[in-house]
Amino acid sequence: MEIAGFKMSGLVDTGFPLVPQAETQIESVFGIRIGSLGFLISTAVYCEVLDKVQVSAMPNVHPWISGLLNLRGNLVPVFDLHRVLEEKAADPKKRRLFAIDRGDKAAALWIDSFPEIKNSASLLPLEELPLLAPILQAFVTGAYEQDGQVWLKPQFEDFFKVLGHHQHKTEETVT
Amino acid sequence: MTEIAQITPESKKDGDPASVLGQLADLSAQEGYYGLQDANLVLVDVISGLPAATDLNSLLTAWTLLAEQYLAQPTTQSAKAIIAYLRRPELGIPMEDEEFAMLEQQLCFDANAPDAEETAAEIQPDPQATETPSILDTSSIALTRQSLDAHIANMEMLADQAAADGFYGLQDANLLLAEALRETDLEAVGADVVSMLAYWSELNKLYNKQPNEAINAIIAFLRQPTLNIPMGEDEFALLEEQMTIAADGNGPDQAANENRDDLPSAFIPSRADDDTFSEAFSEDFSEALSPVTQELVGLLLLETRQVCSCLENITIGNSSSVLESLQQTSEELERFANAAKTAGFTGLGQICLHINQNLHRFLKQIDLFTAENLELLLEWLAQVQDYLPSFNDRSAAQLIVSGLADEQWPVPMALEELSGILMQIRAESSSVEDQSEAEREQAARSGTATDEDVSLALPGDVNQELLEILLQELPIQTQQFSEAVQRMQTGSSEALEIAQRVAHTLKGSANTVGIKGIAVLTHNLEDILTVCANGQKLPGRTLSNALVNAADCLEAMSEALMGFSPPPDDAKAVLQEILDWANRIDKDGIPDSDTEGNEITATIDSGAGLESVEKPVPAAAPITMMRVPANQIENLFRLSGENIILNSQANETLRRMKKQLQTIQLQFSHLQQLSAELEQLVDLKDLSGQAVTSTGPDFDALEMDQYNELHTASRRLIEAAVDAREMSLDVQKELEQMDEVLDYQQRLMLETQESIMKTRLVSVATISPRLQRALRQTCRLTGKQSDLSLSGEELLIDSDMLHSMVDPLMHLLRNAVDHGIENEADRLQLGKAAQGHISIRFEREGNNILVSCQDDGQGLDFNAIRAAAERRGVLAPDQEASEDDLKRFILRPNFSTRTQSTQTSGRGVGMDVVYFQVVNLGGTLGLHSRRGQGLTVELRMPLPLSRSHALLANAGPYRVAIASKGIKQVLYSGPDDFATSDGQAMLRLEDKAYPVLSLNTLLHVPQNPRQMHTNGVVLLVQNGDDITAVLLDSVTDSLDIVIKNFGYYLKKIPGYLGAAIMGDGLVAPVLDVPELLRTSVAAWNLDTIEAIEIEEPKSLLPTILLVDDSLSQRRALEQLLEDAGFNTISARDGIEAVNLLQQIKPDLVLTDLEMPRMNGIELTAHIRSKAAIKTLPVIMITSRTTQKHRMMAEGAGINFYLVKPVREDELLAKMQMLMEASVS
Repeated sequence: MEIAGFKMSGLVDTGFPLVPQAETQIESVFGIRIGSLGFLISTAVYCEVLDKVQVSAMPNVHPWISGLLNLRGNLVPVFDLHRVLEEKAADPKKRRLFAIDRGDKAAALWIDSFPEIKNSASLLPLEELPLLAPILQAFVTGAYEQDGQVWLKPQFEDFFKVLGHHQHKTEETVT
Repeated sequence: MTEIAQITPESKKDGDPASVLGQLADLSAQEGYYGLQDANLVLVDVISGLPAATDLNSLLTAWTLLAEQYLAQPTTQSAKAIIAYLRRPELGIPMEDEEFAMLEQQLCFDANAPDAEETAAEIQPDPQATETPSILDTSSIALTRQSLDAHIANMEMLADQAAADGFYGLQDANLLLAEALRETDLEAVGADVVSMLAYWSELNKLYNKQPNEAINAIIAFLRQPTLNIPMGEDEFALLEEQMTIAADGNGPDQAANENRDDLPSAFIPSRADDDTFSEAFSEDFSEALSPVTQELVGLLLLETRQVCSCLENITIGNSSSVLESLQQTSEELERFANAAKTAGFTGLGQICLHINQNLHRFLKQIDLFTAENLELLLEWLAQVQDYLPSFNDRSAAQLIVSGLADEQWPVPMALEELSGILMQIRAESSSVEDQSEAEREQAARSGTATDEDVSLALPGDVNQELLEILLQELPIQTQQFSEAVQRMQTGSSEALEIAQRVAHTLKGSANTVGIKGIAVLTHNLEDILTVCANGQKLPGRTLSNALVNAADCLEAMSEALMGFSPPPDDAKAVLQEILDWANRIDKDGIPDSDTEGNEITATIDSGAGLESVEKPVPAAAPITMMRVPANQIENLFRLSGENIILNSQANETLRRMKKQLQTIQLQFSHLQQLSAELEQLVDLKDLSGQAVTSTGPDFDALEMDQYNELHTASRRLIEAAVDAREMSLDVQKELEQMDEVLDYQQRLMLETQESIMKTRLVSVATISPRLQRALRQTCRLTGKQSDLSLSGEELLIDSDMLHSMVDPLMHLLRNAVDHGIENEADRLQLGKAAQGHISIRFEREGNNILVSCQDDGQGLDFNAIRAAAERRGVLAPDQEASEDDLKRFILRPNFSTRTQSTQTSGRGVGMDVVYFQVVNLGGTLGLHSRRGQGLTVELRMPLPLSRSHALLANAGPYRVAIASKGIKQVLYSGPDDFATSDGQAMLRLEDKAYPVLSLNTLLHVPQNPRQMHTNGVVLLVQNGDDITAVLLDSVTDSLDIVIKNFGYYLKKIPGYLGAAIMGDGLVAPVLDVPELLRTSVAAWNLDTIEAIEIEEPKSLLPTILLVDDSLSQRRALEQLLEDAGFNTISARDGIEAVNLLQQIKPDLVLTDLEMPRMNGIELTAHIRSKAAIKTLPVIMITSRTTQKHRMMAEGAGINFYLVKPVREDELLAKMQMLMEASVS
């Protein structure tokens, strides 16, 4: 299994800041593309591109769950955001698996090409969020523009939680 | 009461009517007059809205008069007067007639409640006291049996003590005697032996002081023929020797002496009529008494200093300071009086009470209190301080009484009273010295609980080994104590003995280690219980409640020491309550039981019970324990899991190698065969062309074999083939051996994993106290009665999982009491027992833990659920909805059938929260309701990681593992086994027909068209009560797997147990076929995103913002509030709180007063100045008790000012009230 590590030193994630901090330094972010959409991920988060990893598919789950993969002994779910966001499926030859975070919090998703490293200074913040798929709307905290491409900053953790949640039928009997 | 009467006129001048009323409300609540508290709060609300022209002063004066009247004489009439006042039209109180009626009821109820208790305790003569002597006379056997048991118990304690001091000989002697007494026939033991036993403990004491003399006496005692100790001369000699060695080796050091003093000598009926032994020690005792008395005097002096410091706080002219300090002085003085009395200074106590009368007079006319008055008090105190050290001097008494007749006192002492006291003091001056050792302990009891008394700090030189042992024992013992105390309430005298014993043990171990908090509390508890046991009287209801509180506090302390939770913050209050009780009991004895049927009759039965309790527990060899960080265990666990996976990978490889070897062997056989053929051809058919090339003319071809290269080659070929086969057999042998090794390794790995798993396992019983506490608390809040029984407590569960289950279980309990259990009257009417019953059952069910919580309440009210669903618009009025559908509604976020106004608990905790938490943990929740008979909630929680046998199967393109869970049988079927009836395929097997489903259908995978009619693997799966045949496409393997959870994002997927990493490194999802069968009917649409409904219901709970700079305080409050069903966020100081308030709007703020950066008052002022959060209720919890702080806080706009330690119930009630007010 070849793994291309993308861990870069960045600001340590100290959780949600109580007082919004002025951005005093230029930050690098990862940009990944899913169909026509671009997403940004802080470089403080451990990310890696997975190559030649076999995804084990699962029946009877949400169609956007491609399956599971074994990443160094951890079970990692693979999400197909193209399905969720109704984007054109990626070219199977070009698409890559991109894992966000590690350990038991790791999740993987299909991206259209290798991730790009963006400079936060070159991204223009948008006043308003563009019109997005309703499911995504709630999880996007900010949007930027660069050369006509909109880059969204989503809260992947919450988004994945929602995507991974399966409605349970409660077992009920009445006498 | 007097305090309220005093405070009102005082505060009136300050002009803020709302704060006056607020104070009145607080004080009423403190006194237990909740009705009056409510009435005051209603007024507070109304007053602010009154038109400016209203004559507030006259209105208020009338009100305070009424309130004072009510407090002075809380009767139905005064309650009526209050209600009449509240109904005045000019006040315009927005309350309905019913509400007024309820308030009146509350007022009347309050009026009766405290009085009933007090008078019952004071007026009723003690029936037991008059009865006991008769019992003593008539049944002397019972007496002997009981006192004997008391002796035995005492000896065992002495033995423990001796062992702790290192006097093993003495320990043996004690145990021998105890054993002998237990064996002895009652009749055989003469009364003289029993009376002699009284000196046994004194012998023990003597041993500490003068071992050599004591040893002889002890041995002599043991040799008494009546005791019948089965020991030979040499054995006695051995014991004697052992005792001598121990005494020489250790010597009676100071610590040993102190420990000895802690022994409850009260156990021993002290009779000083035997002269054989008493003479021997009389000298020692008089010497020993002196320091004791000195200590007593020292303690009393300490108390006077406290009184003094209270007085010194007084600033003349500042009426509030005078008021407060005088009140404190009065309280301190009362305690001092009690202490003096118990110490034997009855005269001094009387004088103190007299002074206190004067103080009360001062308090009534606070404005008239002058510097001269203060001087007078201080002067008197100085006299007391002079008197105490020299109380033996008869003239000293003159000192303290001389000033009392002075005209300066508002209530001067009458001369005849004075001379009476003087006489008494003179008589006492000698008698104080004669106080027995037993009383010394009680007299030394302090009147006030200090922070130091409840401190759980470990001494600097703590013995780590002892501490470890204590930490092991502590939870068990505190729990035992708690259980015993609760059983005591049901009238079990046996429980009383247990409680006493456990309290003693706890005290001993806490003292040994040096944890003062536990030692002091248990010491006082033991004293109370000892008195109860000696008096053969069970504690009354109020005392029982105090004991239960103390037991809870002990448990909390134990938890704190284990590092599970912060130290209990009510410890000081609890200790104070216990101290007050202990002092009261010292003074007046045990109050009579105020509930019926609690008296123990002195029958043989209780003696028998006692015996069974005191049976000797074989001392188990102590195991050394280690405390290891949890993540280390987790790591080990993960590693062992990986090991198992690797092992199965190796096994897999081995299996493949074996298969390959078999092919090789086959090939070798083939080769062998071929070479044999070749040989034949060469030899027999002479294909070598021997004849042609024959060279020797002299021999016939048969006479001489002629060999050529072909021969040799074919021979060698055969040999090589045989060798290869041999070698392959060797390899096979090796592989088999390797198989064994791997097999052995696998077993070892599993064992390792199990042992590691065991370190994480804790028994369910460990959370039982917390659940019981939650139930008691909810019962108190709702006013309903219920008990809780747990079964399956012995079950061992992963500790993380158990702790994560506590929260949902608490919710369930609260729900059961709040929504399920009917109130007492309704229950009786329905023919149910007055007390509700809730049972929680823990069971292991395959890979799950099944927890069912069953109550015997009213069950789900489907009409109400329907109504609520319609109100919320999720159900159209004419829409059909089955009960199943309706049940699903109550799991919706924030769904409540109760409307706001009738919501009694108001915590808004519904089943939705439990559901959310359970699902988050990967579990499922089932509801089974029986109308009018109760509700059972079943939680199924998956175990975090487990092993299972599984079949590896294909379902269409997917590879899945099928766990063995629920699978009855695996069989191969032919086409003949199937039949179709009513369009449903059936499998016939031994005259039974099972419905057939294919796995592909269950998984919504396209059907394999050939499958239904060809041979295939069929699983017979237990599905509830039925068995269903599940048809598989194909089975590829059968193996052991380790099932892992899906992890953080997927949590639980219906129909799956988890996933397993296979030998080839790929992942196979593990199916839970029974669950698939259950859920296949459910229409959950996988394709729509609408199916995602993940709204965290917890965020809909009332949110409380906690602001405190102390971490432990924050944690304690967080736990309390979360247990009570609130969502909490916390901040370390005002600034942090202000920042948080910009983002979140909590429902209430709890704040400390003093904090760095921004204090509580500034924070409150900030809140009140912001329009958006202006009305946010703020409760201040502080240790500042002065009026000044209170006024300042109230000026800033806080709603309540609570002084630490805060009673949990009180805090919750206040929060409740504020939040309800802010909603309406």
